Amino acid sequence: MTTERLSMQGMVKKYGVVTVVDGVDFKVLPGEVHALAGENGAGKSTLLNMLCGVTTATSGSIYIDGVKAEIRGPADARDLGIAMIHQELQNIPELTVFQNMFLGNPTTAGGVFVDKKHEAQRAREILAELDPDIDPWAKIKTLKVSQQQIVEIARALLCNAKIIAMDEPTSSLTPSEFERLAQLIRSLSAKGVSIIYVSHKMDEIFQVCDRITVMRDGHYIGCVNIKDSTEDSIVTMMVGRKIEKIKHRSYLTDEVMLEVRNLGRSGAVKPVSFKVHRGEVLGISGLVGSGRTELFRLIAGLDRPTGLTVAKHTRMSREISGLDQPAMGEVLVKGESIRLYSVKDAIAHGIGLVPEDRKLEGILKSRSININMAMPAMERYTSIGWIKRGYLRSVAYQIMKELNLRPLDVDRAIGTLSGGNQQKVIIGRWLASGTEIFLFDEPTRGIDVGAKSEIYAVIEELARQGKAVLVISSEMPEIIRISDRVMVMRDGEMVAELTGDDINEAMIAQYAIGQAKAVHEGV
Amino acid sequence: MTEQAAALKANFFKFNIRDMGTLIGLVIIFAVFAALSPVFLTGPNLINIMQQSAINAIVALGMTLVIISAGIDLSVGPVAALSAVVCASMMVAGVPVPVALLGALLVGALYGVFNGVLIAYCGLQPFIVTLGGLSLCRALALIYTGGNPIFGIPQGFRSFINGSLMGIPTPIIIAGLIALTLWIVLNKTPLGEYIFAIGGNEEAARVCGVPVAKTKIAVYVISGVLAAIAALILVGRLGAADPTLGNLWEMNAIAAAAIGGASLMGGKGSIFGTILGAVILGTLINGFTLLNIQSFYQLLATGIIIIVAMLVDRATRGK
Repeated sequence: MTTERLSMQGMVKKYGVVTVVDGVDFKVLPGEVHALAGENGAGKSTLLNMLCGVTTATSGSIYIDGVKAEIRGPADARDLGIAMIHQELQNIPELTVFQNMFLGNPTTAGGVFVDKKHEAQRAREILAELDPDIDPWAKIKTLKVSQQQIVEIARALLCNAKIIAMDEPTSSLTPSEFERLAQLIRSLSAKGVSIIYVSHKMDEIFQVCDRITVMRDGHYIGCVNIKDSTEDSIVTMMVGRKIEKIKHRSYLTDEVMLEVRNLGRSGAVKPVSFKVHRGEVLGISGLVGSGRTELFRLIAGLDRPTGLTVAKHTRMSREISGLDQPAMGEVLVKGESIRLYSVKDAIAHGIGLVPEDRKLEGILKSRSININMAMPAMERYTSIGWIKRGYLRSVAYQIMKELNLRPLDVDRAIGTLSGGNQQKVIIGRWLASGTEIFLFDEPTRGIDVGAKSEIYAVIEELARQGKAVLVISSEMPEIIRISDRVMVMRDGEMVAELTGDDINEAMIAQYAIGQAKAVHEGV
Repeated sequence: MTEQAAALKANFFKFNIRDMGTLIGLVIIFAVFAALSPVFLTGPNLINIMQQSAINAIVALGMTLVIISAGIDLSVGPVAALSAVVCASMMVAGVPVPVALLGALLVGALYGVFNGVLIAYCGLQPFIVTLGGLSLCRALALIYTGGNPIFGIPQGFRSFINGSLMGIPTPIIIAGLIALTLWIVLNKTPLGEYIFAIGGNEEAARVCGVPVAKTKIAVYVISGVLAAIAALILVGRLGAADPTLGNLWEMNAIAAAAIGGASLMGGKGSIFGTILGAVILGTLINGFTLLNIQSFYQLLATGIIIIVAMLVDRATRGK
């Protein structure tokens, strides 16, 4: 039996009281291509971060080629021959290929001046095997994404990496570029380099990997040979637990509140049509990057739906977006068409977005709760140019009470609240603006377990009051618990619409991952 | 309802802690000069300080709004010069004084629109746009006048600026009115909240439907108009419009706003703080003059105070 190239044993990572990775074992053989799979939030990234020295493990030990390794930082990991290719490529676009490869580790002549000639020569040698078309003197920004990825791999090889971890390496590659990457991975593995391949895409895993380790909820679930398994068996491992039906109360009516017709944006969302009713909670499922957030931004008026510009830019944008007809997208609220790409008009028609990234797109950190709530509908709280502070504060007070937000201090800066309470204020913002169509993007991200169920209660209450609610969520139990209907997106396309008993983890996962045949059922 | 009434009791006197810090700084500086010079703490001298600070305060108030919106306006000095020479040439040509004054304000406002449009709609960086304006407006003022000051400002206008109301010189009254107006704009109107919002988190403001572009244009227009008003006061006092006037105004204005608690990252700043900042800078000039100390040292003290103010800021603000 050969010595394992990498053996991580009993890895644990805790953040405060939250355990993200709980006693995970992970073993990789020399020259093996090993897939690491699991749903979003399963703990894959944290495990890799511990390997690469980005975070330190709470407990557990790591062995490289049978020798115990102490990884205290990224430099330690690099010296041990561990390299990571991130999903978001980490390069400096303005520098040349070889400068990026030698970043942080330059070769010098006489210890002072960077020996560019030598560096470029070394870069050329390494790139010759990977992609001879890449010129070491070219600037990174002039390369295609797939080529930039190859430069990162070259950089790993330059550091004599024995283990290369790739986090969703194909997320921005075309199918033919994937083929090329697959070849490259095979040739690296033939040379004895071990590859850790993180991906959601089953077909890729089956094409390039030898074994797969599956994680779920921070736990190690199992490690199997790809040869001996089927896509079904792996999806079952990933999704796991028996589907428990929590009684979901429905307030669904027949009245159409929101109708979307042919709304799309090139490169992000393929034209989609659907309706949402009064009192309905519509879940939108799909993997990260499947176009869900982009769809919300189109509805909320933050991005311009393409198709709008088709007439002007004619052929080119039509080719990019893949539209065969010059589809003018349309968003209708209670049958009335609203102006696209106008946040103001969307808000005026009662559409409100609760964004995924609270810090970046949600809160006005140092402003008070009442001002944060008034922001979208300032005119409601203004008379002849003067903010009616007393009225605003009493409305804010009522909303805080309704949402069970304590302490009841409307003047407190929102930045001092917990994540869950900040989220409630953002929801309160739309209540204060008369919103009837709520778009929730990952409403419980970064919110602790107790506050989560409160957010669910708020969503249910909104439905009870006859609002229309759309919820994007990557958490299966969440989406199953709250939705009357679930739409699944994959690669910017609406691939399924599930109702009733079809709303279960297995069905959603199959469509989201792309195992089941795509059926667009439409409305 | 009693619980609600208690919770909503307006806290009118909730004083900004940061402003308190600036005020304490000013008091310390006052104490030092008062101890060193018997003349310092007399009525006429205090009025003198205020009068010397008025011009910078007016420019700095406009700058404060720009800074709160996460922008910067480096073009205020040359915009002031351009407004001054345009206004002066109109007066000299016999145009009625009020019309000439409006002309000056129009020049400031138009240049503000120019800055704002480039920043809001063309997506250019405020620092660079207004740096361009710094050269551009200075050049226009110099070209327009051939580099010579314009004399012959009407006596009526001069005596208005150099006059006083109930013992308070006109420039102080103008600065006070502007401060009051801007305090209302910033604290009582949607525009003020929009300025804070886009400076604090532009993306969140966009999601809320805040008119980001219009708000940005508005702050640069206000800044330009206030630069023009400051220039008119200077013209009235000197009796001439010099195309080179307003040199380094942008730096003094930024310094006053920063000492007063405005954050160049945006989203933070206060009218009262900026006024205090301008008075602190004015006090330094006055105090050093009284003590007969070379102006080199006054420059040194200004530098030290700006840096100390920022250190105190950082230390008290926490993370």
